Amino acid sequence: MMIPMTGNNINIYKPLRASLTEVIEESPLIKTFVLVPEEDFIFRTGQFIELSVDGVGEAPFTPSSSPLVTETLEVTVMKTGYVTGIMHELKPGAVMGIRGPYGRGYPITEFKGREVLILGGGCGLAPIRSLLFTLEHMKDDLEKVILCYGSKTPADCIYKPLFSRLNSIDKFEAYRTVDITDDDWDGPVGVATKLLDNVKVSIDNSVAVVCGPPIMMKFGTLKLLEMGYRDDQIYLSMEKNMSCGLGKCGHCMMGEFFVCKDGPVFTYKEIKHSPEIWK
Amino acid sequence: MYYISIRKEDWHRSLENLLSSHDVFVPVKDEFGLDYEPFRLSQAEKIAYNVPKPTTPLKNFFLPVRENVSNIVREGRPRIIIGAPNCDVAALGLLDEIYLDKDFPDPFYRERRRNTCIIASDCWSVNEHCHCTSYGIKPYSEEIADMALLSDGDDIILRVISDNGKELARQLTAALPVEEPGKLSFAEKRHRDTEALLSDLNKGLPDYKTTGEIVLKAGSEIWKKYASKCVSCGACTTICPTCTCFLLIDRPGFEKVKQTDACQYPGFERVAGGEDALFALDHRFRNRYMCKYVWRPQKFKSIACTGCGRCIEACIGKINKNELFMELA
Repeated sequence: MMIPMTGNNINIYKPLRASLTEVIEESPLIKTFVLVPEEDFIFRTGQFIELSVDGVGEAPFTPSSSPLVTETLEVTVMKTGYVTGIMHELKPGAVMGIRGPYGRGYPITEFKGREVLILGGGCGLAPIRSLLFTLEHMKDDLEKVILCYGSKTPADCIYKPLFSRLNSIDKFEAYRTVDITDDDWDGPVGVATKLLDNVKVSIDNSVAVVCGPPIMMKFGTLKLLEMGYRDDQIYLSMEKNMSCGLGKCGHCMMGEFFVCKDGPVFTYKEIKHSPEIWK
Repeated sequence: MYYISIRKEDWHRSLENLLSSHDVFVPVKDEFGLDYEPFRLSQAEKIAYNVPKPTTPLKNFFLPVRENVSNIVREGRPRIIIGAPNCDVAALGLLDEIYLDKDFPDPFYRERRRNTCIIASDCWSVNEHCHCTSYGIKPYSEEIADMALLSDGDDIILRVISDNGKELARQLTAALPVEEPGKLSFAEKRHRDTEALLSDLNKGLPDYKTTGEIVLKAGSEIWKKYASKCVSCGACTTICPTCTCFLLIDRPGFEKVKQTDACQYPGFERVAGGEDALFALDHRFRNRYMCKYVWRPQKFKSIACTGCGRCIEACIGKINKNELFMELA
């Protein structure tokens, strides 16, 4: 093999610095970090970044903001582990690191002329919000966009104002459910997949997008198949331990795929034979 | 590809001269075994040519165990590595595909590959667990390396393979082209003899075309059985010429340290929420086989196991992957 001796000397491991300008509390465990990168940051919806806390560690997140905005970047983070725990302590003025964008985002050009059914759960609404901004921008080319979202409790629902706004946009419908109700909630109760029973969608001319916790991804996919969706009409945003984001370190291997580079968005057809995809 | 010949004495003197501009590594045999050491003329008699295989896999020259990858890539001092067996040279094919991919070429790896001239060494004997030919790898290099070395009495014959090799050949002033075809007949015989030794040694061992199917079909019992002797030490991955997994560690100042990692270690695939597809030891054990014989062959052109046998030699649980394959075949 001829070794490419030349080429840019970009250090693929070096993060871009970004100032944290605002921290929005979305739910007791979820915060959105508004960042201003030191240079414009361009990404495609569904691609992810590695966000780092200086000297502590980094973790992969799909931005929740619109890809049409390049001066700022919003990342919604659930407090789950060591790094996210420290992120949640950060205050505006802190400097964070960004690497990316990485991976294959949503193939939005393939969504043109079709209905888009989106199933989301918990913090999975973060990448979906970015997708919704993109779909809103291209709504003239779409037939319909339906969002079905479930959270554990009404308090765990993130971006609450988003739902009324979506319902006011032509061609958009948004539905919410909760697993456990409280005194103020008068909406549907049950898992997010139950919302699919009542949506009106012409399956042949639609695509489905699923993003949420592994258990919801699994049962959501099974439900969509039961509804009549083909495996190549279902887009899944996979979550693995993506360390380098470059298709090298091996941590996110799922079968022959590097989820970080070949995904994180896959059709169910592409990955249905991979082992332990729901883990 | 062509051959040049140089008297051993002149060869060692040329290496001595090259030390002014290059780092030169040679395979040296001592009471601890065979491994690469910096060349010194006074130690030239300890160099072991045409024997398999240095303890350290060739990958370590290109992928250090631990390195800070925050800084600017500096042009390295040119290196000449002598004595790499073809199992290690062939393994660079996969490393090149991963680290020199068009999307994210690793500038640190590229600089090391660029500044290194590899002089491989034909194997004229075999170790207990050598099985390169079972996987379609020859015991001598004709590609990827820049040259290959054949020791012939008082002479060193060099097979010049790449442009880098040609450039180095020009610097060996006392070298002469081998024009007489008969001069190389000893090498052909040596190749045949080594291949015959390997063939005898590995009778019945499934080839690389069938290993994938075997791994896929194997039931959980076989993995549990062999994994019961595994202690997750990662010796097999550390010593493997094609295993390249790593972890990025954060240091203050947004510095990143790249350190080798292994799917055999607990927590390799654990995500923040706690899910871990490789939590069970037998799943981790199987993962390595799936990676080498099923998934990497689906994704890459280059072979992911070159049959060096180091993982068998290094295993403190005495797990022999060839026994596993023979049991399943």
